[in-house]
Formats: sequence, structure tokens, C-alpha cells
Amino acid sequence: MKQRQALPYTFILPTFVVLAILAFVPTIYAVIISLQDRTLSAPGADFVWFKNYLQLFGDRRFLNALWVSLKWEVITVTATMAVAIVLGILMFDATGPRMRNTLTLIFLIPVLLPRVCAAFVWKFAFHPLYGLVTYPYRALTGKTLDLLADPNAAIFAIAFVDVWQWGFFFAVIILKLLEALPPQPLEAARLDHAKGWQIHYFVSLPMLRTALISLVFVKMIESLRSFDLVYVMTRGGPGVSTETLDMYAFSQGFIESGKISYASSMAVIMMIVTLVGFTLLWKKVK
Amino acid sequence: MKTKFAGLAASTAIALIFACTNNAFAQSPICADTVHVLAQPRDGLTLLEDYRDEFKQLSGADFQIDYLNEGDRRSKSQADASTIGKYNVYYVDEGNLPLFASSGWLVPLMDHYPAAYDYADFDAGRQQTATYDGKIWFAPVLGGGDIMVYRKDLLDAAGIAPPATLDELKAAVEKLNDPAKGIYGIALRGKRGSGDNVWRWMTYFKGMGGEWFKDGKPAFNSQAAVDATNTYLDLFKYSAPGTQTGSWDEATGAFLSGQVAIIIESAPLAGMTIDPAVSQVTDKVAFLPPPAPLTGGGFAHGFAIGSKANPDKASQDCAGLFVAWSTSKENEARRLAKGQSGELNRSSIFASVEFAKTFGDALPAALAATASHTAVNFWQDARWPELGNQWGIELEELIAGTRTDVKGSLDELNAFATNLVAQ
Repeated sequence: MKQRQALPYTFILPTFVVLAILAFVPTIYAVIISLQDRTLSAPGADFVWFKNYLQLFGDRRFLNALWVSLKWEVITVTATMAVAIVLGILMFDATGPRMRNTLTLIFLIPVLLPRVCAAFVWKFAFHPLYGLVTYPYRALTGKTLDLLADPNAAIFAIAFVDVWQWGFFFAVIILKLLEALPPQPLEAARLDHAKGWQIHYFVSLPMLRTALISLVFVKMIESLRSFDLVYVMTRGGPGVSTETLDMYAFSQGFIESGKISYASSMAVIMMIVTLVGFTLLWKKVK
Repeated sequence: MKTKFAGLAASTAIALIFACTNNAFAQSPICADTVHVLAQPRDGLTLLEDYRDEFKQLSGADFQIDYLNEGDRRSKSQADASTIGKYNVYYVDEGNLPLFASSGWLVPLMDHYPAAYDYADFDAGRQQTATYDGKIWFAPVLGGGDIMVYRKDLLDAAGIAPPATLDELKAAVEKLNDPAKGIYGIALRGKRGSGDNVWRWMTYFKGMGGEWFKDGKPAFNSQAAVDATNTYLDLFKYSAPGTQTGSWDEATGAFLSGQVAIIIESAPLAGMTIDPAVSQVTDKVAFLPPPAPLTGGGFAHGFAIGSKANPDKASQDCAGLFVAWSTSKENEARRLAKGQSGELNRSSIFASVEFAKTFGDALPAALAATASHTAVNFWQDARWPELGNQWGIELEELIAGTRTDVKGSLDELNAFATNLVAQ
């Protein structure tokens, strides 16, 4: 009997060991490095313990990066979910099966495009002299519009690309979730003369609450990895107006000064903030 | 007809040079594995790939070049050299050479550079830029100083003489700027970075008498620095859209597409402006040295031998052979035959009849005239990238308008430099 209980663990153990190595070794290594004064240009390093962490809280760029990352999370998660819900409902209500399939295929294309390619394409589209997006403004006013050079607009321009990729993808998921709902509650609402928006607001979306919350969490985690878009489109600029935490950590580690330990301390803080924040949020929505 | 003759003459010259020197280089294959190279895109390197069979025959191995644009190449090569060291050959530049050399990421070149390839033939200024701590570290792929390229048609139409001083430049740029007609006075670099906005700003700083250090202490907040920054910001009012967060690509792209009246940029731009493949203003441009007192930013990029990927003498010799072959007289002659003026570095090529035939009189004369204006503007130290990048961010903030206090920004930079030097 004991042997039979032990057998599944025998098979699962190697997988767990591999996963544990992959997850914990780099994390522990990052924590150790963050307590040192390691740089790319010097082979050795000494332990400086919490010096890097203390230095971070007097670093205006780090504090700015925290604020930019928070803004980025709020903007991209909110906009992605809003776009996805609106498009998902529109496809569900206003299109037949063939059109739905066609739109589904089209809406999946942006997310299949590698992020770096998407960033380059849109960077060119936003170009003040040659860009497709800025063309109407040029044609109407005779002036140029440089969104990526505007400290207030740049983050929204990058967020637009993120939403373009993920909003359409999530719209397809929401459409499929709506299609999977039992039809009776929706039929009952229609018989009660509920309007289209009322059916979704009071019936279908509440029925999808758990799935939508999961999507929000997936997008929150995905939005934390904004590095590729920011790096290609603005590299954190103009100035530091789009410098997110991961962008700043990379700059310190590899672009500007080779301060690997300092960059690691940022990564550790980011990990802790994310873990604590997500755990609290998860418990609250549960 | 002239071009055809020049092409024929250059091809003959290549054949002769190769026939004469091939025996000198003939030796048993010395490379065991493919040579991995990290570089940034250059027409001359694309051309080099057409001759990979020649290198195979010479060395016994192939080569693989990975291309990244300037900023990415810098960060990738730093990350690679300091960690796994995958690349046998790195494309380095004047800015990161002190860091690479002092960190032990490179092998001194001359111990592995075959004498037959004649290193002494490289332009003396470029040899000097490739030298750090008394040793030569790279063979030049391109280099030079700054040149002013202007639109003759626009200046003539406005009745403006080509600016010879900074005040004349300011006046000309303001007068020529006409966004309603799609013409902008100048194209500068706004993108953060020691090799981007700071590279162009330095010519104003040094030209106005600025020094990085005075009496051994950082002097980044001097009056010269304030004046240079204010001048740079004033000129930016007339810089083409897209350059506020752009670099070489954006600034030169705006000029080559015919939307800019005057540009002061690194010398390789000059050849590009008369190349119909990339320029829409080939017959409308003229060249002069930068207006006084601007100092041309002396620079050189080139190939160097990586230390981690080449742990023994055999692999270092192999990498050295690639560096020598790729920058050889024959390959420069091939670039000359293709009209790639920006990627020529050898005195023998500059002095050749083919060079004069290919580029006429104006461009070579302008390039020669810039020599006396060229200077090493940056702080030649391993800590320069960190310092330059810090100022790059502050300068980009000033350009974008998220900062307005020039003196305060320079004071902040001075404090950063003082701290950096003390470490």
C-alpha cells in the first residue's frame, strides 16, 4: 500500500527538482549579487550587504521608475481589459459565425508578432515626418506631431502598442467565454426586455467574473515585462518619462555603468513588491 | 563614363594589389573554427561578406558577423565580453576602448596582426584613437572628425553665405528654418547617450573652452558648459522633428531626405549625401569644416580581438588574421570601388588616383580641411561611458523640457562626476 502511494512521488520528484533549480537558483543568485558591489568591469566583488538597497531610495531615477511602472500597469491593464470587453461583446452581439471566425483570426495576428517587431513597426508609424499615425495631423494642421518625444504622451504611445497586441487577443478570449455561457439566462433577460448593454452588465459579465479576474492577473504579470517595447520605442525617454523599473535596471546593469549588483537589487525589490502586491490583491478578490 | 572609368581603375588596382600581396599572406590555415564577430551595420562589412570564400581560403575557416545598431552593439558587447565571451572579434569605438582594454576584455592587437597587412598605413589620427595605455587595440573600420554639409540651393535662394562661425550658424539656421515648406534649419542628436546627444554637445563644450577637469577636480558646471548647453538647446528649436529623441539615424535621415538645410555630423555622412542610393540631395550639397569655434569630434571604430573567446595564441592569431584581412588594403580598395567614402582609413587609399577619380575634388578637400578642426573631445577613461550616459539623460530631459535649469543640471552632473572619481 505504501509502495503504491510512493510511486506517483517518484515520478513527480525529478520534475519538481528541475523546476526548483530553474526557479530558485537564479533568484537566490540575484539576491546574493544584490548584496555585493559587483560590476561588469571588475572580476571580484565584496559584500556590501544592504548598501545598494539604501542607495536606491535616494536615487531619483529609481523612485521615478517605480512611479512610471505603476502608471504603466494601470494604463495598460485598464485599457486592455476595456478594449477586450467592448470588442468581445461587439463580436458576440453583432457578427455571424463566419465573420466571427474571420475577426478572430485577424485579432490574433498582433499578439503573434514578436514584441520587438511590433515596437519597430509602431515606432516608425509614430514618426513625426513619415509616420502613418501622425499623417492625419500633419495633413490637417500642417504641423508635425512627435508623440514619442513628448514626455506626457510617450507612455501612452507605447501603451497603445501594448493594448493593440493584447487587447485584441483578450477580445477573442472573451468572445469564446461568452459563447461558452449557458444561453438560458441571456434569453430570460431578453424576454424581460433588457437592453443589450443591460444583458451584459447585469448578466453575462458577472457570470464571467472569475475568468475576467484571471485575465486581469495575466495582463498584470505580462505588463511587468514591458522592457522590449520601451527599449525599442523610447529607451526610457524622453528624459526618464518612460523609464520603467526593468528598463532602469537594464540601463544600470548593461548600458550605462555595468553595476550588476545595483541592478540586481532593483530586480529583487521588484520581485518582492510584485509578490506582496499580487498576493494581497488575489486574497482581496477571492 | 567617369564613374565607369573609376570603377574599372579601382577594380584593376584591387586585382594588382591582391596579386602582389597574396603570396605574402599565403600560409597554412590557422583557424580551426568559425570566427564570430559582433559589429554594427556598415556597407563595407556587408561587402566583406561577399568575399567570405577568400577568407576561408586564407584562414581555413568561415566568419559570422552579428549586427546590432550602435547603442545595442555597445551594451551587447559589454555584456558579452564581461560574461560568456562568445565573440572572437568585437567592434569597438573610441568611447568604450578604455573600458574594454582596462577590463582585460581585449587582447593587444599587434601581437597577432600579420605584418604584411601594414598597420602603419592607417591614417595617423585613427591609429592614435586605437591606442590606449601605449598599446594598439583595434584596426580601424571607419573614423574621422566632423564635417558641415549644407544645401547649396537653399542657402543661395536665401542669400546666405555658408556659416563660418557659430553666430553665423545660429543666424543661418533660424533664417532657413521653414516648417511650412518642410524645411528645418538643422538636425541635431537628442537621444540620451555618451555616443549620442553628448557626442554632438561636446563639440560646443570643447569649442567654447570647456574642460572636463580643472586642477584635478571635475569642472562640468563651468560657464563654458552652461553656454554650450544653452547654445545646443537654442539650436534644437530649429532641429528636424524626430531628432529630439533621435540619434545619427534620425538626424542624417532627415538631411538625406531633403528636409534639413545644414547639418554638422561625423565625416562618413559626407559620402552618403552624394550617394544616389541613399540620398535625395546628391546634387544640392556642399561641404565645409564645422563653424569656429566648434571642434570636430575625432572618432574611430574598428575590430579588436576578444580575450575570453580566444583563450590561446592560435585562436588569437586567427582573430588577428580576420581583423587584418577585413581592414586590409584590398578590402578598402573594394569599398572605394563601391563609392563607400565613409569607410576608408588607409593613407595609401586616400592618396590613390582612384580616390580622386571616384570622389572628385570637393569632398576630399573638405575631408582634408576638417583635420585641423578635429580633436578628442571626450574624457579618455574607462569611466567615461558612465559619466557620458548620465549627462546624456539630463541633456535629453533639458531638450524634452522636463528639466529647465541648465546650471542646476550641470551642478548635479558635477556632483555625480566628483563621486565617480572618488570611488
